[in-house]
Amino acid sequence: MDEFQAGEEIVFVVDEVSSIIKESVEGVIGGNAYQHSRVNQWTTNVVEQCLSQLTKLGKPFKYIVTCIIMQKNGAGLQTASSCFWDNTTDGSCTVRWENKTMYCIVSVFGLAI
Amino acid sequence: MLKGFHSVETGSTMSDVAKDKAARLLKKRGSISSLSSHEVKAKETTGKTKDSVSTVSYIDEPGHHDDIPRPAVQMENTYQIGPIKRFPVATVNNILKDVLTSYLQEEKYEAELCRQMTKTISEVIKARVKDLMIPRYKIIVLITIGQLNDQNMRIGSRCLWDPTNDTFSSYAFKNNSLFAVANVYAVYFE
Repeated sequence: MDEFQAGEEIVFVVDEVSSIIKESVEGVIGGNAYQHSRVNQWTTNVVEQCLSQLTKLGKPFKYIVTCIIMQKNGAGLQTASSCFWDNTTDGSCTVRWENKTMYCIVSVFGLAI
Repeated sequence: MLKGFHSVETGSTMSDVAKDKAARLLKKRGSISSLSSHEVKAKETTGKTKDSVSTVSYIDEPGHHDDIPRPAVQMENTYQIGPIKRFPVATVNNILKDVLTSYLQEEKYEAELCRQMTKTISEVIKARVKDLMIPRYKIIVLITIGQLNDQNMRIGSRCLWDPTNDTFSSYAFKNNSLFAVANVYAVYFE
């Protein structure tokens, strides 16, 4: 009988995901400067666009996407994660993007079904 | 199942004092997991627009692989289609509240301390949630600590998963110098 799902197909490809994230952030925020009234919209759009692109990869994964947008004014920010999962299939990718006025940190976690 | 670890920060160098303090706190809680689980790779790339920079970080070598490769164990079908025990969101929320409050109540924002603190707290929370012994759930703990400096920020997340079984728990903490947000995502492993 044929194997329907070859083992090596179910793997979280960081490069693929990181380019999706970068494209989404560039697409949504691009050259804009920080604008309080638009941040809500931006976070929503970045997360939304990442997720829809990830879905298009058509892989058997569940995804968690988080986006942090912070105004640059000298304040520090630390973020860390720890996971309990199957290291052979699951993975994460975090992109820190910044321009002159803000930081945007997007994390994607992919968990194989 | 094994664990992964990654972190990102906008701070700079780490002082031994802060590292020690975080390590001591970790010891006090009786957690056995190590802080430096994985090497984190980071590469600098310049985006399309000239004045923006992005950094990617991820787990370099996924896994502490076993030295001796064991043959894949063929399990019998369980014919189980749902979780025996659902993920207890309220209990986890109490854990988040408890851990964040006890670790950060008295702290002032300091980059090195908080850098270590995010790692420590995420490990502690992961260990505490694992102790609940909820079978078949994968756990992701995401901690963000920031300085309060009259800035504006927004954190949003969205998940592609099965809403009947997968869930999350979130808690935000604030004192007069820093804020912390802890998110725990629980994903049912079919």
